[in-house]
Amino acid sequence: MENNFYLIGVGGQGVIRLGQIVADYGIEKGEKVKFFKEVGMAQRGGPVHCEIRIGNVFGSRIPPLSSDITVVMELSEGLKSLEFIKPGGTVILNRKRIYPIDMMTHPEKYPKDEGITRLFKEVKVKIIWIDAGKIASEAGLPIAENIVLLGALSFISSFDKEFVISILKKHIPRELDKNIAAFRVGYEIAEGMVE
Amino acid sequence: MKKLLTGNEAIAEGVIESGVEVVTGYPGTPSTEVVLTLLPQEKELGIHIEWSVNEKVAFEIAAGAAWAGKRAMVTMKMSGVNVAADSLASVAYSGCTGGLVIFVADDPGVSAGMPEEDSRYYAKSMVVPMLDLASQQECLDYVKVAFDISEKIGGPVFLRSTTEIAHVASDVEIGKKLKLEKREAHFERNIAKYTKAGAAWCMAQHQDALNRLAEASKICDSYITESGKKVNEIHFEDGSKQGVIYAGAVEGNFKEALKKYNLKLSRLKIGMIHPLPEERIKRFLEKVDRVLVLEELDPLIEAEVIRIAYLLNKKVEILGKFDKTLSLIGNYSFKEIKNALEVLLKTKLESGQDSKILEKAKELEVKRPTSFCIGCPHRGTYFALNKAIKNLKYKKDEIIITGDIGCTILGMSKPFESCWTEVAMGASIGLAQGFKWAGIKKPVIATIGDSTFFHAGIPPLINAVYQKVPLTILILDNGWTAMTGFEENPGTVSLNGAVNTKRVDIVEICRGCGIEDIQIIDPYQSKKATESIMKAIEYPGVSVIVSRCECALQAKRKKVKLVKRKVNIEKCTGCRICLSSLACPAMVFHPKDTNSKAYMEITSACFGCGLCEFTCPTGAIEVIKDGK
Repeated sequence: MENNFYLIGVGGQGVIRLGQIVADYGIEKGEKVKFFKEVGMAQRGGPVHCEIRIGNVFGSRIPPLSSDITVVMELSEGLKSLEFIKPGGTVILNRKRIYPIDMMTHPEKYPKDEGITRLFKEVKVKIIWIDAGKIASEAGLPIAENIVLLGALSFISSFDKEFVISILKKHIPRELDKNIAAFRVGYEIAEGMVE
Repeated sequence: MKKLLTGNEAIAEGVIESGVEVVTGYPGTPSTEVVLTLLPQEKELGIHIEWSVNEKVAFEIAAGAAWAGKRAMVTMKMSGVNVAADSLASVAYSGCTGGLVIFVADDPGVSAGMPEEDSRYYAKSMVVPMLDLASQQECLDYVKVAFDISEKIGGPVFLRSTTEIAHVASDVEIGKKLKLEKREAHFERNIAKYTKAGAAWCMAQHQDALNRLAEASKICDSYITESGKKVNEIHFEDGSKQGVIYAGAVEGNFKEALKKYNLKLSRLKIGMIHPLPEERIKRFLEKVDRVLVLEELDPLIEAEVIRIAYLLNKKVEILGKFDKTLSLIGNYSFKEIKNALEVLLKTKLESGQDSKILEKAKELEVKRPTSFCIGCPHRGTYFALNKAIKNLKYKKDEIIITGDIGCTILGMSKPFESCWTEVAMGASIGLAQGFKWAGIKKPVIATIGDSTFFHAGIPPLINAVYQKVPLTILILDNGWTAMTGFEENPGTVSLNGAVNTKRVDIVEICRGCGIEDIQIIDPYQSKKATESIMKAIEYPGVSVIVSRCECALQAKRKKVKLVKRKVNIEKCTGCRICLSSLACPAMVFHPKDTNSKAYMEITSACFGCGLCEFTCPTGAIEVIKDGK
């Protein structure tokens, strides 16, 4: 088995926490795991991404054209993942735009959804759109976008659902019930979309 | 038992398993997490762990402990070795009795802005053996190897990591804790070994160091680690006349390529990179005609391989950096390693993603310039500093402001664009004096953070006083070594209330150094702060401003609650002056649409620094009373 996960977003979205849970899932399942984090200026609004490789892997980074599942938490950041996406793989696109400060005054400079979607279509990947912010809010915890996406990722990767929840319990210090609710909705939405 | 550990966490585990009794360091990406992981366990482990004031001091403490017979480790980033180098070179000649390991993490690819310095040169120039880490498992295993070798040869050993190893987590097999006999601290007086007083002693010590190096090479070449791996290892592939010699972090991507493309190549892995296993390299070169040398940064190994091939008098094609197969710059991704293997094999292995798609993506990409965190006191200091310069009728581009290392350097970015230079720890104060002596007539200002000041800012401050250089120095004292992850320093008020340390006051240090004009400002009180900075700039001698306010992220952790601000939409004209003067991430601009005019919003992420109030021309920013 070899599974490569490329997760990308902006500081504060919980990209790393999401990655940590996926990596822990691999380790708890007794697999070899590599978990790379790019956090540099995360606290200061910078880009954040992480890569998790589970299975018989050596390099700590996903080679080009090898990411089985890509989770894009912030749309424009997702463009950086195109090089690594495996044709035939899956990308989960979160409907979220975070404007850097200098673009806040000129939001028209932010790339259009269509422009971004077209590129993802060209790399021949299955696209799943999720409005994780909305779902998380409905679950009563707007900040749990990453957990909604964890749900979707878990379905697509055929993860053992209850086992993921048991790992979630170790990682989430507060509002566990709402997080689990967010996770389940994410899981079910992906289930509904794929079937 | 397997655990998911980063390279640095694995080093920490290795330290625990090796029976190390003193661990010191100074924070620096990508080395910081070793001490960070160990510190909370200090009591439980019953050993001494500390963030020292700088790398030189940290090294000296570790060396002292090792001279007293204990196992000691010091940790730093490559830039830190430059600071420690003076003492290191001397101790390397003397050797040690207890194990002494210097952990250094290089940063090829620059995850934290600094030169891509190759610390391996230090091993050569200081006559110290060096092990290079290629995986997280090795991080744990090689700590034990390094201490073992250090005590067998009686001298210090370098353990070198790189970002790709240090910051990546992997499944690591936890080892056994070594059972060392209890050691009483004991130091034998031996001035021929422990002083440098006299040429004969120094040269004898040099010879000893060389002998230790030779011994290390002998021991290490056949060394097998606890997890059964050889430190230096040759693998000959039948019938292959092509080979790869490699060391360090490149191993992961190299092995990945071997697997992915099912390649059969002879290979020589080098775990001890100084001294190199000369005989082993000879044996390897005898069997191959074409060799690729994989190592990041400078061609240290490659140059030696070329030398050895020359002495062998055998024609071997050697690919690497000299023939430009590989770059001297950056860390090697899978792609670079794959490209180099294509050159070695003279075949195309695989093409990547359609370059047109990638180009289009690059065009669309959104740049995310970094700004200060919400509530950061440095925002207030630079805001007041720029205002003071303007009030004194200077143009922004005629006042040189030297910056320093750490969060304070973000003052170089938009919207402040205050700092002009960033060199090294404490260098802002030294450089500023050079500008004055060169004849810059206008005021010169240096900014520096608290930890940086303690680290290397005090000697240049003393120099400025002694040489009477008219200068304004702003010490941005947020109480933490924040950039690397909130480590404590001598000025920190600990989150949990430190009991073993005494807080040192920067103001008292400045007074003690002879500074007569010293003012303390609160960067959130912008008007007063601006006035104080103006006075300081106009002062004819060395003036110091201590801008004192705790790092907002740490203040938040201490449950400090300030009054948040909100925008009175009636009064807001949507001019965005607040946003463009402060770049506060808690602000959101709502452009004009069919239902409403343009206006600013301050989100609940507001910390309550209140700086925005000073920027608003219409007084639309108000305090939130009673949570409304």
